[in-house]
Amino acid sequence: MRTFLILVLSFCFLQLATAQDFPYGQISTDELNMKNYASDISAHAVVLREYGKAQIQVASDDNIKVMFEYHVKIKIFDKKGFDEATTEIKLRNNDDHSDMDEIEKVTGATYFTGDDGTIHKVEFDPKKVYTTRDYKYQSTFKFTMPALVEGCVVEYTYRLFSPIGLHLDNFHPWEFQSDIPKVYSEFEAIIPGHFTYNAALRGYLKLTKNTSSVLKGCFSTHGAASDCSDIIYAMSDIPAFIEEDDMTSPKNYLSTLSFDLVEFTNPYNGVVTKETKEWKDIDYSLKSDYAFGGQLKRKDLLKDRILPAYAGKTDDLEKAKAIYAYLQKWFKWNDYIGYESDGIKKAFESHTGSIADINMALITALNGAGINTEAVLLSTRENGLLNDLYPAVNKFNYIIAKANIGDKIYLLDASDPLMAFGMLPLKCLNDKGRVFSLDKPSYWIDLNLPQKETSNSVMEFTLQDDGKIKGTITNYSMGYEAYKKRVAIKKFNTTDEYVEDIAGKFPKLKILKSEISNLDSLDKPVMEKYEVEINIYDKMAAGSLTFNPFFLDRMTTNPYKLTERSYPVDRGMPGDYRTTLIMHLPAQYVVDNPPKALGIALPNNGGRFLTDFQASDDNTFTFSHIIQLNKSIYSSQEYPYLKELYNNIIQSEKAEMVFKKK
Amino acid sequence: MKLILFTLFLVSGFLYTHAQENYDASLIPKELLQHASSVIRDQQMSVRVESLDNTIVQVKSAITVLNKNGDEDAEIVLEYDKSRVIKSVKGIILNEFGKPVTKFSEGDFENQSAWDGFSLFLDDKIKYYRPAFSQYPYTVVYEYEMKLKQSLDFPQWEPVPGYGVAVQKSSFTFTCAKDFNIRYKENNFHDNLVRSKNSALLNTYTWSVSNIKAAKIEPYRPYYKNVTPYVQVAPEKFRYFGLDGSFTDWKTLGKWEYDKLLASRTELSPETIEHMRDLTKDISDPKLKAKKIYEYMQGKTHYISVQVGIGGNQPFLASDVDKQNYGDCKALVNYTRALLKAVNIDSWYCVVESGSRYKVNLLSDFASMDQGNHIILCIPFKNDTTWADCTSQTIPFGYLGDFTDDRDVLACTPEGGKLIHTPKYTVEDDLEKRSAEFVIDANGGLSGNMKTIFFGTNFDSRDEIVNEPVKEQYKMIQKIYPINNMDIVGLDFKQDKSFKPFTTENIKLNARDYASLSDGKCFFMINSVNRIESPPNQVTNRQNDVYISRGFTDIDEITYTIPAGYRLEKVPLNITMDKPFGKFIATMELKGNLLTYKRKFQLIDGTYGKDTYQDLVDFFQDVVDADEYTVSLVKS
Repeated sequence: MRTFLILVLSFCFLQLATAQDFPYGQISTDELNMKNYASDISAHAVVLREYGKAQIQVASDDNIKVMFEYHVKIKIFDKKGFDEATTEIKLRNNDDHSDMDEIEKVTGATYFTGDDGTIHKVEFDPKKVYTTRDYKYQSTFKFTMPALVEGCVVEYTYRLFSPIGLHLDNFHPWEFQSDIPKVYSEFEAIIPGHFTYNAALRGYLKLTKNTSSVLKGCFSTHGAASDCSDIIYAMSDIPAFIEEDDMTSPKNYLSTLSFDLVEFTNPYNGVVTKETKEWKDIDYSLKSDYAFGGQLKRKDLLKDRILPAYAGKTDDLEKAKAIYAYLQKWFKWNDYIGYESDGIKKAFESHTGSIADINMALITALNGAGINTEAVLLSTRENGLLNDLYPAVNKFNYIIAKANIGDKIYLLDASDPLMAFGMLPLKCLNDKGRVFSLDKPSYWIDLNLPQKETSNSVMEFTLQDDGKIKGTITNYSMGYEAYKKRVAIKKFNTTDEYVEDIAGKFPKLKILKSEISNLDSLDKPVMEKYEVEINIYDKMAAGSLTFNPFFLDRMTTNPYKLTERSYPVDRGMPGDYRTTLIMHLPAQYVVDNPPKALGIALPNNGGRFLTDFQASDDNTFTFSHIIQLNKSIYSSQEYPYLKELYNNIIQSEKAEMVFKKK
Repeated sequence: MKLILFTLFLVSGFLYTHAQENYDASLIPKELLQHASSVIRDQQMSVRVESLDNTIVQVKSAITVLNKNGDEDAEIVLEYDKSRVIKSVKGIILNEFGKPVTKFSEGDFENQSAWDGFSLFLDDKIKYYRPAFSQYPYTVVYEYEMKLKQSLDFPQWEPVPGYGVAVQKSSFTFTCAKDFNIRYKENNFHDNLVRSKNSALLNTYTWSVSNIKAAKIEPYRPYYKNVTPYVQVAPEKFRYFGLDGSFTDWKTLGKWEYDKLLASRTELSPETIEHMRDLTKDISDPKLKAKKIYEYMQGKTHYISVQVGIGGNQPFLASDVDKQNYGDCKALVNYTRALLKAVNIDSWYCVVESGSRYKVNLLSDFASMDQGNHIILCIPFKNDTTWADCTSQTIPFGYLGDFTDDRDVLACTPEGGKLIHTPKYTVEDDLEKRSAEFVIDANGGLSGNMKTIFFGTNFDSRDEIVNEPVKEQYKMIQKIYPINNMDIVGLDFKQDKSFKPFTTENIKLNARDYASLSDGKCFFMINSVNRIESPPNQVTNRQNDVYISRGFTDIDEITYTIPAGYRLEKVPLNITMDKPFGKFIATMELKGNLLTYKRKFQLIDGTYGKDTYQDLVDFFQDVVDADEYTVSLVKS
């Protein structure tokens, strides 16, 4: 009897579907004759129309699933647009594959006008679909439309069934915008009363249609039944999305509709689960989650294992640093991210784990040692900015530790053995994170840390009578710059190999002696000191010698080239780069054209570029050069100023001094 | 029964000896640590042909990882599919002192589809394991066994798997029945190879090496397969995906490929055959006929790689491509062959090892199935052998470019296989010729026109840009030319797609602040457009010969009209260098307010002794200096 009911239901549901969807298999001659897309004549392809419908329903196997139907018609103008006829769909699965996304029935065809003027139709062969396995929790389903020719129209549909267990938090999202323009895009969401979602639209484009109605009794299982809300969202004339350099995730700017679960009534037992209504609800559910609170509360788990790491230390900060360093070395990150752990004990014993495994182990270990530490959930730069309209836990994809020591806080990520205590990897520096602890309500924290990259290079040179320069180069790398330097040095097996490589890059430069300090003392600046000899002039005979203070490393092209910029430049953190040259000339020489002091500043104290020249009497001068970028993010309005600052830097680095015989 | 007993004994003996070894990291000979991120302590690979469709591969390995850079060397990656089955895999991680830390088995491996970076679909899957231990040094000891359901394509023994890996001991055993004839080739071994053969019950061939130091990556090094030691083995009689065959050289292997993999794949519908005849009915020159058909194929198809069936070695049916309009290199070459056949033009399906960085020949003295990674088409017109790559929709007929030029390839013909050489572009053929007229105004702004012609393999260096929308073209060009503040006022490309194709680029541009003017002085870089920014890295104690795979010629001529009333402040640029591997001339001359700059750079392909390397670095350094030359003017 139940089977019968479902059949009836799915039948009427099909009826409804056709009411909204555009007709399949109807390609007009206008569409086939179209030579370009008037709104964007450079487009290689355009979506003529697309329609998607996602519905929570009871599937034929009696499980509740999100059924997603997709139907699209794409006009392809030229060969560069052929890629648009290949579709890749990501399919999720759980640990034991008991829950997995499944594609049902791809149908489609390619239409084109033949040489004889008649319309040809080539059907898609449903056997020509391929599934490849990406990693533990994901596969990719692929297919490509047949018989493509320039000017053709491809049309296809498919259905995707997703177990509600994998997608409860996120109802099927809809991407209005993609890398090709769209004439019209419509999405229909049919959501039974058992489920309540918040819809959020990202991006700067506006909906052109947004209606809702009620479908009576559309959902029923095991005696429970409810009406559905049927909401339609649409946009017309959607421009293609164009990516630019130095931007964070395109996700932040693409026009996308997403749904976050607010409340869910279990149809089988009527139990109501409030999902995201308020942060306190999220706090509660995280706390009771085995993979989150269940792990974090086990603060004695690693206690005995960690104890030797900080034995003898009494100061909390010292203890914390010791534990952090110990776990940094202990774990090897397995490249998986996330904020839930399958079990930190297992991860600890196997020396490997995800971000959640490692950083939860850190949090519990610190708490176990009596250092108050909370968890911070965040969204990485690649994952996109957090939207704080609705409390939602599933937008987070990363977890770090926040240790509270004295009146200071330290944000920690132990997954990278070269990251200094209190510093975060660039990928984490994305606006803000949410602090969770077992005993307090959660709250936001700014991730715009005092962290910055700072370098200071001091060259003290003596020009000798034989035309060689002898002297020392001392580089101090601090903050994130020190991290980058350590990564660069550790690419080599030994520091000697690193120095050999540097010397190899500058054939004119001979490194007589080198010293690298603090390579493994992550809290301290990395210092490189080189005693060098540089073959700069073949002979000193000439009356005057030209000299460029940047002969070793000169910036010659502007990294910012665009005339207009639509999205902000996001560098992640401020920077401060200083170079000082102290030069001793032979007694008979004098600087003919000392460079003038320069000072150029960005608006709103955004940064500056300074140079200074100071001569002393004894044939010695000091030249200094400072670039300061005080902000992490520069808006598109600030872009021209940033570009101009770099233009000035390049101009300045181009100028040559002349050493003249007295 | 005897045979089974024997193998069992062999396997267990193998394990036993290994477990006894002491892998304390301090026992590694000191001289092996230099430049090493990891050291292979002992690796034993054995390949055993049990029958024509059953080959057992066993690998047993112990590798010590010295630092983070060596982690990758200890990763275990097993490729498998229906014809390559993993029978068992397990291992153990040892600490610095050789004491066990943790064990692992097949369940700890991750599964994934293999991906080559471009295919829509590959049949292969991989299982991989990344040892997780971060207290260096540590040692991973593992063993695995795989069954190959064929006897044609055997794994090669490559004792040194990469740069930064030293080898203490490595051996290879190949075992087969006495009537299973094999050929083998030992490549790039010096005096360190120990070889033996035992013909008791079965034929057992053994090779081993010991104490090989880690190699560094050196610029301008030869292709690694011309340097690294390896042994390859090929059968005489074999079975491959159910197909039997035998070969002893390229002729017989090519014959087998033709007969079994290709001969039946070229059938087309009568309509398509008719269409081809119709298309070419007014053309009498066979080469022009072929060009017409090639262009038809380019217009109709596009490249999509789907690798399935017979080890990914058999092309789709020509009739399928005719319907679907897409295929990979095999399918598109096979399809083009079929189209050409329709108008009675014979052509050959050719196996090539492709790649722009190195020109790699198929080994003239050793035929085997595992050489080559791409298929191209050869049309043997009388005295005018013509080549075509069928995977591009835009390149001209007859143009191979740097991906497959100048190398020995295998043509599979009905009469058998033969090695033939693809055409070479000479140093003079690969020419990039540029001329520009610029004006520098009183504010330091630069403006003018620049014309560049790309010949030879340079032809398609602008192919990516040509089909982009204008706005994108501007962005791409701005990234190519190092002129600051460059505003492009006009840009156009012309492609000549004749048998000697070339591309012409015309740019009208201006750039503010190109020159710095102040206090009666004026500075600007003489080479505004085509600079070599840095020389290749110097290396100490170079091991490899210097190998320049591709020669080319760049000619630039720029005239600058400078503001009136200036004279040169320093010695004008004037440099001429003539070396066996390259030539460079850069000169400048100021006449009135017209400054003419001429530059010619030539790199000459070939292999040069390792002592030449420093000379090459110095040559490049001098070029870099000359390219960075700053014109320094002062008001008269």
